[in-house]
Amino acid sequence: MATPEARIVAALRRANEGVAIGVGVALLGACAYTLADVIGRPLGLAPGGNEEIAGYVMAGATSWGMAYGLLALAHVRIDFVRMRAARPGRAALDLLAMLALTATTLLIAAHAWPVVAKTLANDSRANTALETPLWIPQMVWWTGWLWFAACAAILTLSAIAAMLRRDLAGADAMIGARDETGGEAGAENGETP
Amino acid sequence: MMVWLGAGLLGLMALSIPVGVVLFLLGFGVSTFFSPFPLMRGLGQIVWSSSSAATLIAIPFFVLLGEILVRSGVAARTYGALDKWVSWLPGGLIHANIATATLFSATSGSSVATAATVATVATPQGVRLGYDPRLFCGSIAAGGTLGVMIPPSINLIVYGFLTETSIPQLFLAGLLPGLLLALMFMGVTAALCAAWPALGGPRLGASWGARLAGLVHLAPILALFGVIVGTIYAGVATPTEAAAVGVAVALMIAAANGALSLGVLRDSLLGAVRVTAMIMLVVMGAYFLNFTLAAAGLGRQLQTLMDGLGLSPMGTLLVVIALYIVLGFFIETLSLMVATIPIVVPIIVAAGFDKVWFGILMIVLIEMALITPPVGLNLYVVQGARGRGRIGEVMIGAAPYAAAMLAMVALLIAAPQLALFLPRML
Repeated sequence: MATPEARIVAALRRANEGVAIGVGVALLGACAYTLADVIGRPLGLAPGGNEEIAGYVMAGATSWGMAYGLLALAHVRIDFVRMRAARPGRAALDLLAMLALTATTLLIAAHAWPVVAKTLANDSRANTALETPLWIPQMVWWTGWLWFAACAAILTLSAIAAMLRRDLAGADAMIGARDETGGEAGAENGETP
Repeated sequence: MMVWLGAGLLGLMALSIPVGVVLFLLGFGVSTFFSPFPLMRGLGQIVWSSSSAATLIAIPFFVLLGEILVRSGVAARTYGALDKWVSWLPGGLIHANIATATLFSATSGSSVATAATVATVATPQGVRLGYDPRLFCGSIAAGGTLGVMIPPSINLIVYGFLTETSIPQLFLAGLLPGLLLALMFMGVTAALCAAWPALGGPRLGASWGARLAGLVHLAPILALFGVIVGTIYAGVATPTEAAAVGVAVALMIAAANGALSLGVLRDSLLGAVRVTAMIMLVVMGAYFLNFTLAAAGLGRQLQTLMDGLGLSPMGTLLVVIALYIVLGFFIETLSLMVATIPIVVPIIVAAGFDKVWFGILMIVLIEMALITPPVGLNLYVVQGARGRGRIGEVMIGAAPYAAAMLAMVALLIAAPQLALFLPRML
């Protein structure tokens, strides 16, 4: 029987998988546009501006992809000390890491808004042939940071709820550390000397 | 400030706070305590400009390319074809491990993907033919590290972005040292196995007919490499554009092998987004820290520090190298590279060294960090993929290759032309 906080995190994970697929498709779109630009250039048919489009897509893909990375436990943590700690110590480190991450993302989301606000106030356009109204890519980018900050906060609260229940295994599944291969990082996976 | 920075970096990382967040926190700290004016107002703009760079979209493109290729079945065919060419050497199949990893590195930008793929393909063969697992696994872990050196390399893109160095030049600079390192790996293997045949396994011959027939299977991956590096070298395409072309070619290869499905595409996209998020958090953090350090006058402080230490440029370089070797034992590689760039590269440039050359030197050290225990990612990747035996075997087997990398560091210092020859031709 899953606890309420585990259900919340599972839902968050599903939502972010959907978001990540959307981000992936946007990346494929940017890839196709770049390709059209490269192939079209010698033929004189290039739409042009692939660098600019790629930049906007990258900014949006970065901010919107962050939460998926977080829920997949992909953000790199040096767990050299962590894997030598006992279970409660490990949980404390995980919580500290999440609090630091959540505070940082909230700060970034807050400081990102003035960038968009200024663009809106001046009605700024890109200094390029496309003359893109900059508020469009910046709005996508900023909402991505909001989403990341919200996901981080919900995840932190869920982990705290699990810890208050003394469900350290549940909390570990939410905010523990994994290595890049998808297994549990370090000693728990097998034999380290 | 230097002491505060070093202690903060290592201390916060040891607390297992995500590395990207650590870099942001240090930036906040520099802004609060060491800057004459508030830098936090620049935070939003820095995050926007560091993530909306067209150069960086090459990262998800190259990751995607690798993810597609890994799932396309091309690895098994490549391994089979190369096996016929190199397995007559002392050490047999171990050479096929290295050669396959080298070719794979030349198309995928990631060492983890390379090591995992080769390990999955090679391990059953090695077990079947009764190879000693140590050198066999060590060669895969070491061969996989070539992925960060031989272009296209995601690590070189990140280095170029953070240090404002030309990425095409870095790519060209990595080519010769990368190939040379692969040859050195094979040389080490052949020497060890000639002296102690028990370290290897049976040497396998093949007829010239079989060898030539196998070349067909090498064609797609060589074509992919040719397209990527060729277009960059010819100046037809930027690295980002070449990466986009590469993704298209990889999709075609997968389709031709009948390995392209919606499921494969979905998994590849998810993998690309996950790895990109991981890399970008660290890159943005480093970019912000760079900005605060420059504003707080790091350059002046470094100059004072260097004058105080009275080290020669070569002395400085050796200290930096020693630092990387030690930190490389404990810190994951991309993080090690990105976290130290804001501090180390200005020191190296002030000492009069070339940025392109140092990028390549740093990459060799990073490669070494990938196979030195206790935190050597590739060791665990190979161990995870083979799913038998002890991790200690992989660690021991990787040691001779780590020694070859040290020799490569010495070579690069003695003959900088090794890295700089090709980019100077551009």
